[in-house]
Amino acid sequence: MLVAIIFANAARGIRNASTTSSLAVMTIAVVLVLIGSALLLVGNMTGILDEFGNELQLTAYLEDEVAKGEKDGAAELLALAARVEAAPGVESVEIVTKTQALERFEKIAGGAELLEGLDENPLPASLEITLLPEARNAESIEILELALDGLPGIADLASGQEWIEGYERMVSLLRGAALGIGAVLGMAALLIVANTIRLAVYARRDELDILALVGASRTFVRVPFMLEGTLQGLLGGLVALLVVYGAYEMVLPQVRFGLEMLVGRADLRFFTMGESIGLVLAGAGLGLLGSLTALVGWRG
Amino acid sequence: MKRRTMNVAGEPPVRMYHVSKSYMAGQYALHDVSLEIRRGEFVFLTGSSGAGKTTLLELIFAAEEPSEGQILVLGRNVARLGASGIPALRRRVGVVFQDFKLLEDRTVEENVRLALDVIGTPRREARTRVFQMLKSVGLQHRRFHHPKSLSGGEQQRVALARALVNEPEILLADEPTGNLDPALTLEIMDLIVSASTRGTTVIVATHDHNLIDRYGKRMLRLEGGRIAEDIPAAGAASALRGANP
Repeated sequence: MLVAIIFANAARGIRNASTTSSLAVMTIAVVLVLIGSALLLVGNMTGILDEFGNELQLTAYLEDEVAKGEKDGAAELLALAARVEAAPGVESVEIVTKTQALERFEKIAGGAELLEGLDENPLPASLEITLLPEARNAESIEILELALDGLPGIADLASGQEWIEGYERMVSLLRGAALGIGAVLGMAALLIVANTIRLAVYARRDELDILALVGASRTFVRVPFMLEGTLQGLLGGLVALLVVYGAYEMVLPQVRFGLEMLVGRADLRFFTMGESIGLVLAGAGLGLLGSLTALVGWRG
Repeated sequence: MKRRTMNVAGEPPVRMYHVSKSYMAGQYALHDVSLEIRRGEFVFLTGSSGAGKTTLLELIFAAEEPSEGQILVLGRNVARLGASGIPALRRRVGVVFQDFKLLEDRTVEENVRLALDVIGTPRREARTRVFQMLKSVGLQHRRFHHPKSLSGGEQQRVALARALVNEPEILLADEPTGNLDPALTLEIMDLIVSASTRGTTVIVATHDHNLIDRYGKRMLRLEGGRIAEDIPAAGAASALRGANP
């Protein structure tokens, strides 16, 4: 019975204070639109960077002796490839023979002309090493390089170390910025929401005092406010989700076009179902926390 | 298990031992007050503005804590009630104020029902009890009205109904007739006196010497935060007549 009365009081609170209630809902929505947009932006940017990471490869150029004659050297080449594949951080190894290297080079504009007049294929055979996702960083690549250094038959390693370091810096910068922005926005959100709900509590201090006077427990007085805050937060979260989705759909064509021009790819995505629910629940959490903060200091 | 100290029959529901209340160092709203109020007793608390009447009532319903001394209300030490003890005490103490303290956005019935809602009384039972209570103060026909549409006397009757619907052991009234004309004053006072005849211990703070004179109950007169006079029932009226010829 008490629970029913508490719920009824929460519903009454929202009904009676519709102006302050909608103000709280809108405040939470605005704050979550900012946080949601920032998260979506950062998520998509790291997504694009991850795509680049997937293409990260090491190339081990082989000594001509290993691959000489190709048919004769095949067993030796396969053995070497197997040893490389067993090295730390390696996901897969693809063998590129001298002939394949030549074919590739010829496909490049002007490649065929450059090779004219040469008797022998000057291009080395190579192993193209794809890295495990967790090994796509400078440190792992250095360890791999050390491991491969001693292997007989490898003439040279091309790792694109500088590129990797740049990529790593970019990713960590982006993640740091996302964390920083998230923390600042989160704090701002909490303060704004707490203040808005505090105003709502202040507007109803007579009711709080009278409830305390007739012997209402702290729970009886507080829970309706907490329910109200949570419900307002849920609504705010939903509104924010819709707004961010609308904005995403609106700017998607332009951004996709721009990205394709700039980086040649545009695999953009909206929040997953889980992330969307997370955003709405974050609103509920903000509302609840806001109402708790607003009730601090009320003695009853 | 609900912790509730039973008030042993005969044990005074209100006892104060050398109670002082000070809001600023060296300035006392109440100073070294010791008193006992017996079960079912009706007491007028009087004195000029600032004498300490409201403070004394606030100490009894635990709105304030004493700075010094001990207060026992219904067998409980008010200073040691804690967060859960205060609501439990207030459910046994009804309070009425000069300004009624009704919620404007609720009907008369809902205002009275508040005292039953907070203890989780089932809605059907609560409505019956509220109806009976409103009937006893003559306002059953106004139960769906809002306080603003009622006269001052009617609003105070609603406040009184809210204070009494829970059948409290103590009723405190702080200038309950301060905003009412003489006819309405008597109407409210008669209701309060009838609560006392049903066994509720009643303390009424008032400026109105005519009331004290009329009802002839025990009178405590405060002066500068101290008890200046404590005149027992029946003697109060004649004492006042002597003091105010």
